Amino acid sequence: MTKFIFDLDGTVTKQETLPLISKHFKIQEEIDNLTKETIQGNIPFVESFIRRVYILGKLPIDEVSELLEKVELYQKVAKFISQNSENCIIATGNLECWVDKLASKIGCCCYCSDGLIKDNKVIKLTRILRKENLVERYKSEGEKVIFIGDGNNDVEAMRIADIAIASGLTHMPAKGVLSTADYLVFNEEALCRQLNQLL
Amino acid sequence: MSATKSVIISCAGIGSRLGLATTKALINIEGKSLIRWQLELFEDVEDVRIVVGFQANDVIEEVRKYRDDAIFVYNHRYFETKTGASYYLGARDGNELAIEYDGDLLVHPDDMKILLEQEGEWIAYADKMSDDAVYVKTNQVGDVLAFSREQGDYEWTGPCCIKKDKLKYSSGHVFNQLEPYLPMKGIKIRACDIDTYDDYQRALDFIKGW
Repeated sequence: MTKFIFDLDGTVTKQETLPLISKHFKIQEEIDNLTKETIQGNIPFVESFIRRVYILGKLPIDEVSELLEKVELYQKVAKFISQNSENCIIATGNLECWVDKLASKIGCCCYCSDGLIKDNKVIKLTRILRKENLVERYKSEGEKVIFIGDGNNDVEAMRIADIAIASGLTHMPAKGVLSTADYLVFNEEALCRQLNQLL
Repeated sequence: MSATKSVIISCAGIGSRLGLATTKALINIEGKSLIRWQLELFEDVEDVRIVVGFQANDVIEEVRKYRDDAIFVYNHRYFETKTGASYYLGARDGNELAIEYDGDLLVHPDDMKILLEQEGEWIAYADKMSDDAVYVKTNQVGDVLAFSREQGDYEWTGPCCIKKDKLKYSSGHVFNQLEPYLPMKGIKIRACDIDTYDDYQRALDFIKGW
C-alpha cells in the first residue's frame, strides 16, 4: 500500500498555526522574531520549537485548541485526505493538546509532539515528533511512503521517503526541502493531481 | 486531449554548447523565453511536468508566470545524466502515456496539435537541419526502424510518446529509451533543435516562417 504523510502547517492548513496562536493572544513580536530567525536558519528548528512552546505553553490549552480548530484548510487537499483517510497521516511537531480538535476535523491519523499538562497549561515538552521516525516505521512495514512538506523539520523525513513532494502552497519551501524533493508544486490542483497519480 | 497523457518538458540541462550563459529554457526568442513558447503549445494539456536541474529556481519562476499548475520534477543529478534520465523522472509518477518534449526544441504549433491528438505511442522527426544530429531510418510508411549517429532519412528531434512503464532510469539519451521498442509509428513534423548558436539563429528564422 501507499501511505501519504502530510506536514500540517502550511501544507494542509492555509496558515502556520504557531504565529496564529501568538497573534490571537497578542504576543506576536516575541514569536515572530523566533519564527523569522528559524526560517533564516539562524536558530535550529528544535531549539526554536522548544522556545516557542515555552512561551505559548502558558496560554490556556482549551482556547488554543478551539482557535486551531477554526484554521482554514486547503479544501482540495482536505478532500483528498478525507477520501483516502485510511492511507493518509498527518505529522506535525505541534502539541497534541493544541491540534486535537483540528486533527479530528481533518479526519485521519495524526502524530504530534507531547507535553506535560497541568491546570489547562503546558508545563513542559516531553517528546518532540521526529517525522523521519514515522517514515521509517511505515517503510519497515513494507509501505511505500509519500511525504508532503515544506519546512526544515520535514527535510529528514523527505530524504528517506520513497517520494518527497515539496509544497509551495503557502510559501516557498525551505532550501533543504528543495534539495531533497522529487516534486515541487504551487497550487492545490497540481498537488492533488500528483497525489491521485500516486494512488 | 485524453487525461491519460502527461507532457514532460526536460529543462534540467546546462546548455553548454549554446554559449549564451543561461539555461536554454530562458533564452529570448522574439521577445519570449523559449519555455514560454513551449508552454503555449500545451495550453490544453492538464498534466504538464517540467524537469528542472541547472538554474532550477529561474526556470520555475519563469514557468509560474504562465502555468502555476505545472508539476516541477527535480533531476538533482542533471550534471551526470542526460535527457533519458529526465524523461524517466518526469514520467514515472505521471499519466500512463508520457510525451517527452526536449527543452531545446521548437515545434510548429500546427504540428504539435496533430501530435497531441495521436492515439498511442509515436516518435516525431523532422527534415535534417542540425550539424551534430541523431538520424532516424524509416520504412515506406514512415515508421521509425532505427536511430543512427551516422546516417538516416530524417533528423531525430522528438517529441515522442511512450507508455511510462517502458522507461527506466538511465544515463543515456531519450532515443536510447526508445530503441528497445522499435519499430514504432513515426510522424514527420516541422521542428527545430537549439543546440548551438547557429541553431539559435535558425530558430529565429524558423519562427518568422510560421
